[in-house]
Amino acid sequence: MSKFFLKPSLKTDVVIVGGGVVGCSIARELSKYKVDVVVVEKEVDFCQGASKGCSGIIHPFVTPFNSLKGKLCVEGNKLMDKLTEELDVPFNRCGLLFVSLNRKETFFLFLVYLVMKWRGIQVKFLNKRELRKVEPNLTNKAKCALLFPSGGVISPYELTFALIENAQKNGVKTLLGTKVEEVLVENGEVKGVKTNKGVIETSYVVNAAGLYSDEVAETAGVRNFKIVPRKGCMIVFDKKLRGYYRHYVAEAKIKQDPRTKGGGALLTVEGNPLWGPNLKETGSKEDTSVSRKDIEEIINTYNVLFPDFPLKIITCFAGVRAASEKGDFVIERTKVKGFINVAGIQSPGLTAAPAIAKMVTELLRKEGLKLERKGSFNPYRKRINKLTDYPPEEQDKMIKENPGYGRIICRCEQVTEAEVVEAIKRGAKTLDGVKFRTRAGMGRCQGSFCTPKILEILSRELKIPVKKITKKGGKSLILLYKIKELLKGA
Amino acid sequence: MIERKVDLVVIGSGPAGLAASIKAYKLGLTNQVVIEREKYLGGVLPQCIHPGFGLKYFKEELTGPEFIQRFIDKVEEIGIGTFTDTTALKISRKGEVIAVNKKLGVMKIKSKAVILATGAREKTRWDVKIPGDRPAGVFTAGLVQKLINIEGYLPGKEAVIIGSGDVGLIMARRLTLEGVKVKGVIEIMPYPGGLQRNIVQCLQDFNIPLYLSHAATEIRGRERVERIKIVKVDENLNPLKGTEKEIKCDTVIFSVGLVPENELVSEIGIEMDSNTLGPVVNDYFQTTAPFLFSCGNSLVIFDLVDYVVENAETAAEGVNFYLKKGMKKAEERKVSFNKKIKFVVPQRVTCLKDVSFYLRVKKPEEKVFLSIKEINWRKYFQKIKPNEMVKVNLKREELLKIKGEKITFKLVRKS
Ligand SMILES: Cc1cc2nc3c(=O)[nH]c(=O)nc-3n(C[C@H](O)[C@H](O)[C@H](O)COP(=O)(O)OP(=O)(O)OC[C@H]3O[C@@H](n4cnc5c(N)ncnc54)[C@H](O)[C@@H]3O)c2cc1C
Ligand SMILES: Cc1cc2nc3c(=O)[nH]c(=O)nc-3n(C[C@H](O)[C@H](O)[C@H](O)COP(=O)(O)OP(=O)(O)OC[C@H]3O[C@@H](n4cnc5c(N)ncnc54)[C@H](O)[C@@H]3O)c2cc1C
Repeated sequence: MSKFFLKPSLKTDVVIVGGGVVGCSIARELSKYKVDVVVVEKEVDFCQGASKGCSGIIHPFVTPFNSLKGKLCVEGNKLMDKLTEELDVPFNRCGLLFVSLNRKETFFLFLVYLVMKWRGIQVKFLNKRELRKVEPNLTNKAKCALLFPSGGVISPYELTFALIENAQKNGVKTLLGTKVEEVLVENGEVKGVKTNKGVIETSYVVNAAGLYSDEVAETAGVRNFKIVPRKGCMIVFDKKLRGYYRHYVAEAKIKQDPRTKGGGALLTVEGNPLWGPNLKETGSKEDTSVSRKDIEEIINTYNVLFPDFPLKIITCFAGVRAASEKGDFVIERTKVKGFINVAGIQSPGLTAAPAIAKMVTELLRKEGLKLERKGSFNPYRKRINKLTDYPPEEQDKMIKENPGYGRIICRCEQVTEAEVVEAIKRGAKTLDGVKFRTRAGMGRCQGSFCTPKILEILSRELKIPVKKITKKGGKSLILLYKIKELLKGA
Repeated sequence: MIERKVDLVVIGSGPAGLAASIKAYKLGLTNQVVIEREKYLGGVLPQCIHPGFGLKYFKEELTGPEFIQRFIDKVEEIGIGTFTDTTALKISRKGEVIAVNKKLGVMKIKSKAVILATGAREKTRWDVKIPGDRPAGVFTAGLVQKLINIEGYLPGKEAVIIGSGDVGLIMARRLTLEGVKVKGVIEIMPYPGGLQRNIVQCLQDFNIPLYLSHAATEIRGRERVERIKIVKVDENLNPLKGTEKEIKCDTVIFSVGLVPENELVSEIGIEMDSNTLGPVVNDYFQTTAPFLFSCGNSLVIFDLVDYVVENAETAAEGVNFYLKKGMKKAEERKVSFNKKIKFVVPQRVTCLKDVSFYLRVKKPEEKVFLSIKEINWRKYFQKIKPNEMVKVNLKREELLKIKGEKITFKLVRKS
């Protein structure tokens, strides 16, 4: 990958710092207008931060209702149908089941029910019999439940990639592997950003840098919040168990155990059961390790709901929430003209992202940015066509048109060469880039079969040697030597 | 779309698939095809460049490629239709196989019988639940074998191998010969998972430490693997405090076993065996879907390719028998076994022919009798180990002595 330096002449109207779901949502929203936007992301690909390490729930609500995150969550949830339709992103409004396991919790559920009715949030009460009918594998200790039909699940990376692809199509520029080191401020006004690859001149900076938003804000001299990293670990189970339950299920605990707060048992859009997350304050922004204790903790928590669930683990992963010490989102104009903080976006940041984007657009307008609608805006994006989504007759046509569809690369997820090539065309440069765009390597064998084939395709398409290919950028090289290379010195 | 009608489709071209195909051809089933998803025939054998194959079948010691070449040559000589770079995507309940190929598109192959010889996949770090970070540099042993022997790359220069299965042991030696420092093989059990000859030839001869009764607890490293944590365990596999240790390395290789690959038939709803993770079969290796037969590692994990070939040939005889005479299902007897035994294959017996049973024990045992309760049959073993599959041959006459519907294998200590 060639390292280039930005010419001093790179100028734009708006710089968005951070290519997570929030930065990409803002970019896509701004691409509806006649403004030049550049998204700057320090990693080699988009969606490498919290947005990758999240569980993908589209929450029906969060408390407190009157907080900023409470409001944006409900708003974002409502925007999700149209957005995912335009971007062709699978979205499953599976419904959230809030389950009571004892009398106290039942009492609590009644209270919640009343509050929700009063708040105008769709909710349905299910008695024991009704509950058994919809979730037969749930523990027989389950007494009753509240069903929130607007709860759903989405693939957070698919959404983020779709947002940025569509934004790019509508003129947004992106700089990957580019880190904003300093926001340049003169006389209380934004002048530009200094990156490791040069300076970008701009009058508006949107700070959507996730875990590092406090540090970015500090360089602009407006750090009035602190990010407290909170790790959450999750377990993914084999797709074979997809029929085991249907909703996003959580226990209606009155006092939420802080270590499992916000977690549940859900089914990803691809059909894998996913349990978690838990919550740990590790003090580190980079620590995404999972410990044995995390695994046990999560299993113990959700085994209570599904005592006979066969624990066929496929993988575990973790993400770090960028919570502000106050607990709420920090989305505001600052005393530096042109600098907007979009920080502290912990859960439900994924759900809220479309609403955050609209809010930030309005803040930019108030800040003086001229926003005029673009007639040419195209809201649509198509997902990567997957061979196995089609019947044999169609598959045959697909292969005749593009022979790459005739070669299966990943046996577990049945991903074809054509899909891998398309993912690379859309921006994948690493093994993980291919994996998160196509699911190749995400199945039960975790890449044991497809890795050599994907390396070969990446090398061929990107015209780089196999030895230079990484898992996720930086020093995450996959193969370090050619055979015989280590024997030369001996 | 290409539509074809054949008598037999063989899925997979490893030793199982090719042996079955050749045998079926010799029995007169000439209208058949072999489907292989890789670009070359042979299954995993072309990457197993070490010797140790064919001692029983050819009475010669061959390397994997040499062993399989004999079958590939035969297939080519008699002209069996093979499709490489072709993946079977589906098998219907009626025996129709859907496969895809770059040049030919979708192939719909109607067949009277199907032999599944799809091999196995490797267990991963998550099958044995080794947590920690998720950096580059974590591999399974078979993948490393392919990367080195087929693709020509080395994963790193300091490796730790987790699990002492045969593939891992062989890779320990292979890596060492390539100049990679293998810092240890970690095995949680008090005994190795692979064959004794591999412990000697692959570890001891190269001074590679084998840590028995040790568990890997965590993989660490941000971008690339940096180190691995291990701990000693007691006889109940619980970690012993104060024995934690770290080993620096850039590569971690898992060799923690194989799982039969049967995704293709998961929708057909055949009966599966939760001990082998392969289908339940009778002594012709016929599954509970009469047209479907299973052999090789997709049936049960074998440690010797000779057994694979042998059972594949029997499966071919089964297909021939099924197609030409039909097979009556009602007469089957069920195999069961006591707690010391992990599995017995086949799980059903027709009593129409002599039978070879393949079984594994759960733990190493000494001075034991393997017996069949219903008849007066027993065999003495001075030593019997989980890493060495046991084969038992029984004559039809003996099987016919069984009165009831059950055959019960028992492993008991000599009293
Ligand atoms: C375990 C977990 C589970 C969650 N579950 C849910 C859920 O179920 N539902 C839900 O709605 N929300 C959930 N969330 C919250 C949600 O994931 C986040 O709110 C959301 O992803 C935040 O997006 P973001 O774009 O702000 O942050 P990120 O995705 O972290 O993006 C920030 C980006 O900025 C980049 N960056 C940082 N500094 C710089 C710099 N100096 N220069 C250039 N680039 C920089 C980073 O590399 C990163 O890519 C969860 C979060 C976690 C951690
Ligand atoms: C590292 C290693 C060392 C070994 N050492 C020895 C030894 O020293 N001596 C010995 O006797 N044995 C040894 N073995 C064991 C022996 O190699 C195996 O038992 C044998 O290869 C299993 O044969 P198989 O045909 O069942 O499976 P495989 O050889 O795995 O073949 C299965 C084939 O099916 C294909 N396939 C699967 N699904 C599909 C599909 N849907 N469509 C099309 N094709 C498909 C696969 O691509 C593969 O080619 C070793 C094995 C390994 C891995």
